[in-house]
Amino acid sequence: MAMWLFLGSECLLFGGLISTYMLYRGRHPADLGPDQIFDIPFTSVSSFVLLMSSLTMVLAVSAAAQKDDRRTNLWLTVTALLGATFVGGQVYEFTSFYREGLGFTSSLFSSSFYTLTGFHGVHVTVGIIMLMALVGINKRSSVPGDKAEVVELVGLYWHFVDVVWIIIFTLVYLIPS
Amino acid sequence: MAIIERPSTPALAGSGAPAVVTPSQAYGVLKRPVSTTGWRSWVFTVDHKKLGIMYGVVAMFFFLVGGVEALLIRLQLAGPEGTVLSAGLYNEMFTMHATTMVFLFVMPMAAAFANYLVPLQIGARDVAFPRINAFGFWCFLAGGLFLNTSWLLGGAADGGWFMYQPNANALFSPSHGVDFWGLGLQITGIASLTGAINLIVTILNMRAPGMTLMKMPIFTWMILVIQFLLVFAIPVITVALFLLMFQREFGATFFDVSAGADPLLWQHLFWIFGHPEVYILVLPGFGIVSEVLPVFSRKPLFGYRFVVFSGAAIGFVGWGVWAHHMFASGLGPVSVAVFSVATMLIAIPTGVKIVNWTLTMWGGKIWFTTSMLFAIGLVVEFTIGGLSGVTHAVAPSDTQQTDTYYIVAHFHYTIFGGAVLGLFAGFYYWWPKMFGKMLSERLGKWNFWLMIIGMNLTFGPMHIIGLQGQPRRMMNWTEARAGEGFFNLGFWNRVASVGSFVIAIGVAVFLLNVWQTHKKSSKTPKAPLDPWDARSLEWMTASPPKEHNFDAIPTVHALDEFFHRKYEVDHDTGEVRKVATGEEILAAEEAKADKHIHLPSPSYWPIILAFALPLMGYGVIYNRLLIVAGGLVVLLAMFGWALEPSVADDSDYDPPADGGGSNKELATIG
Amino acid sequence: MLGLTAASAAVLAGCAKDAPQDTWQPKGENAQKIHDLQWPVFLVAGIVGVIVMVAVGYAVVRFRDKGQPMPEQSHGKPALEIALTILPALILVGVGIPTVSTIFDLADTSDTECIVNVTGQQWWWEYDYPAQEGCGGISDPIVTSGQLVIPANTNVLLRLTSRDVIHSFWIPALNGKKDTVPGRVHTLRMQANQPGIYAGQCTEFCGLSHANMKMEAVALNPDDFQTWVANQLESYVAPEAGSQAALGEAAFTANCAYCHQVNGLSSTAPDGTVTPVLANPDQFVVSGSAPNLTHLMTRNTFAGATWDLLTDECRDRVWNASPEEFGALYLQGVTAECLNAVDLREWIRNAPAKKPMYASDAQKANSGGKVRGMPALGLNETQIDQIIAYLLERN
Repeated sequence: MAMWLFLGSECLLFGGLISTYMLYRGRHPADLGPDQIFDIPFTSVSSFVLLMSSLTMVLAVSAAAQKDDRRTNLWLTVTALLGATFVGGQVYEFTSFYREGLGFTSSLFSSSFYTLTGFHGVHVTVGIIMLMALVGINKRSSVPGDKAEVVELVGLYWHFVDVVWIIIFTLVYLIPS
Repeated sequence: MAIIERPSTPALAGSGAPAVVTPSQAYGVLKRPVSTTGWRSWVFTVDHKKLGIMYGVVAMFFFLVGGVEALLIRLQLAGPEGTVLSAGLYNEMFTMHATTMVFLFVMPMAAAFANYLVPLQIGARDVAFPRINAFGFWCFLAGGLFLNTSWLLGGAADGGWFMYQPNANALFSPSHGVDFWGLGLQITGIASLTGAINLIVTILNMRAPGMTLMKMPIFTWMILVIQFLLVFAIPVITVALFLLMFQREFGATFFDVSAGADPLLWQHLFWIFGHPEVYILVLPGFGIVSEVLPVFSRKPLFGYRFVVFSGAAIGFVGWGVWAHHMFASGLGPVSVAVFSVATMLIAIPTGVKIVNWTLTMWGGKIWFTTSMLFAIGLVVEFTIGGLSGVTHAVAPSDTQQTDTYYIVAHFHYTIFGGAVLGLFAGFYYWWPKMFGKMLSERLGKWNFWLMIIGMNLTFGPMHIIGLQGQPRRMMNWTEARAGEGFFNLGFWNRVASVGSFVIAIGVAVFLLNVWQTHKKSSKTPKAPLDPWDARSLEWMTASPPKEHNFDAIPTVHALDEFFHRKYEVDHDTGEVRKVATGEEILAAEEAKADKHIHLPSPSYWPIILAFALPLMGYGVIYNRLLIVAGGLVVLLAMFGWALEPSVADDSDYDPPADGGGSNKELATIG
Repeated sequence: MLGLTAASAAVLAGCAKDAPQDTWQPKGENAQKIHDLQWPVFLVAGIVGVIVMVAVGYAVVRFRDKGQPMPEQSHGKPALEIALTILPALILVGVGIPTVSTIFDLADTSDTECIVNVTGQQWWWEYDYPAQEGCGGISDPIVTSGQLVIPANTNVLLRLTSRDVIHSFWIPALNGKKDTVPGRVHTLRMQANQPGIYAGQCTEFCGLSHANMKMEAVALNPDDFQTWVANQLESYVAPEAGSQAALGEAAFTANCAYCHQVNGLSSTAPDGTVTPVLANPDQFVVSGSAPNLTHLMTRNTFAGATWDLLTDECRDRVWNASPEEFGALYLQGVTAECLNAVDLREWIRNAPAKKPMYASDAQKANSGGKVRGMPALGLNETQIDQIIAYLLERN
């Protein structure tokens, strides 16, 4: 339940960031707006990667429910790797935007874009750390408490972060400004 | 759940108090702290009662800090063209007075009561996540200290507690004060958020058998409503504070008009948080008087269900009224009309509460203890604040009153009259529970009358000053515009300044009372078990409660469980007969005490984690390397925390079969 | 009881003749609408307050512990509860309907006939009048500050904005307040029933000298207003050669004209070419603006309406004038006999010492080398005398 409350709170956090972005998305120099800068095919691929990680997370949760430690660890690792791929993609994306001249402080659009997606990236990174920690602890088989429940809770967080990305992807990348 | 109990075995029943298992074995990265006495037992504790007391002590300290700031403000305004403070210092003073009182006194003092009392009121042995609870307290302390170090490091924040943009951006407020303010509140925000999640889970999951939501003590109910408000309000201010930090420290332009930004974005974000915050401040006071009034009227709370639902309604509607702080900021007439009407709506559940409190006393048998006096004081003073609130829910009228002293009068009647008087009622009511000593009633009455007279002398004239057109946040007022006659600003400003010192004397009497009660602790008499003939569960255990709260978790049959165990109501005649004393009931409970109560163990990690945060804060302001250092400490502390079960294994005790433990904490903290 | 005091105090405040910013003495139809709405609300709130306090007082006295038996453990009477919920709801409906209609009334600006642009900056107000048919006709733009001059009995439309932070424009006797937000234009109705002077103050916290950001609105009857307009549009009259004021003109050009515009002021180069002196406050001031001093002595205040240009005696005469006499008295402006040279001299000598501003060298460094407010100019007493003599002719 604590996780649900925490995620409820997170909804408002992202709500505030998304509102800020929506307010400022049109405020940029003509040649450096969302339409010019976004590489939709690339981001679609990395979004797909993140989406797949939700699937592997489901597999990890079901493995944990069946008390299959080996498969749990496997799927957790795969999830973490897919997540890391996504974050890697984001880092690449940011670097290429930066090269095209879109710095954090270039315009209101860029500031709010980097803030929003950056916050999401940090959430994914935290999720990856949680997954890796879980694998590590699991290997030492010293997970305090009910293992399946812990995996499920981390899974809940992971799915949430995923869903937020779908919303961000739709609002930020797909809907033309 | 972190609390593990095993049913007592019949063979051991009746053999006195249960053995509390203290952890001794090393586990995790650091050896666990094991002290049960001395400062270590406080610093590393996860006991909700000790944390509650620490919250209280620190909040009281900040109350004095905020109070001194208030006195300086009133000294400055006692005469025309005041010269006690410079303009810059005056601006810092009122900014920090508000910030301190709101974030470092009322909120944490409410957290003190909630921490201490909620588990006791619902018949639990601790909160759901004891280490997170400790972490919350240390975050609050770390954030509060961090915020106040700004006084020594180039000046405190000077943009008003609402920190309107662009006045608070780096160009217009170049000292680091606003940075300290933003980061400090970010840190105390973590305390509020974790505390809120913790208390909600505690209240929803850990109630004693038989305690349905509608049999729950009203104070716990109000705390539950507040925690929901916090869970959803804190992230909004978090976003605002991040935007502020990115703007001031990393060159973003979220509020920079020359870059095309809209400064009203800040106002919306701030008040979406800020208005629920107002209810976060007053609802604990409401909860406390809703406990105190029935006890000293010897009657149940009138319309318990209505009070519960009106509390929830206030919490709910509180989300739809934020823009009433912005009636003059240039919203369109449609928004103004909608928010104006929504604001009036909130008067209805508030009115319900006042009616219910009055009717609780009606037909009762009123005992005028200090606590009861404070509670009655709250009903009266808050009514004044509520009604002056209705006058500026009327938006056109508000355009004359907003940002004048009339508003200052209004919210001091609600926050001082509603929250602070409620907290003082709580001090006197629960002091014997928390410390096993009675505060002096004689000094208590001095305390009450000085504070109530002081507050009316201070804030009453502000109605007049405000309607006479004196704006807020003014470092001085001039004779030229003070007018003459009965309503001249000069006279009433002086009265307000005198009043503020009367309040200060009242607070000093309270501190004297505490000192006298505890100076020769061994000589002053112990408080009786049930000094007030109370009604709720927290009185059904020793005072102060044992570390595990209850020897046996009570089974609840009714609202006001303790009362119904003491008294029998004849349903035909309505006659109320006493059938048992508190001591007898306690003895009966002790007789069936649980064995092998396993309590959460102390931990180093909460305090380490919490104090890494201000380190990162200084890093943001002064040197980015410190952010990295602080971040590393955070990561390490989290790992240490995750590896450490909340209940230490103990060699003389085999771990319970169900595993139990800290899994949820791990997940929450990540 | 205390609520009664507060409520009755509130009601009585309406009858008192004291502070010039009293919110209970409307002097124009917009403020009157607010007042008509607010006094019944105060009255109802006062009555409700008295009822609650009497009820609490009665309960406390009547049901004190006199040794009576334990009371009946009643948990409440739902019917009574519901009745006592509906009653305040009905009262609030009664308050809500006129509130909403007044909100829309005050937001409607379709019947205004005279436009003034109002711009806030740290820590003074600028008023500029675009050329218009309205206000009885203004042929060329006028820029002034300190006192907002409007024709009486005319619906004036203020267009409010700011050059730096958020301020709030408020003349309590004429209308409620409205924030001035940089990057946005808000509108506010203004109307004064009769000629006179009305005090106000910035009411949104705007930094260091927020307390010293005042304003005054001056209403003149339409003929007097036309006289005022004509005076504002009068062309520059250079001081008599060799006079104290002529030396002042040179000192002004050398020290003040960087920021302060005086329309028509020009400088003559050694070779005889005449160039107009144009202020360039953009370069020196954060807000990019400083008060226009072309007709300084037609207004009665300076430095954000914080100090008077008139001596106390002359000031009282203007403030206490009857509506019939007011116009003529105000249009006299500041004469040599009436000049409050003490404050003006202190101001020119060291402005930040008189009014907290953000203008020292160290402070300038934090805001890109620009000041907020007026810096100390380091003038000697002779120069100050000359400048005052020069300014006295700016009428």
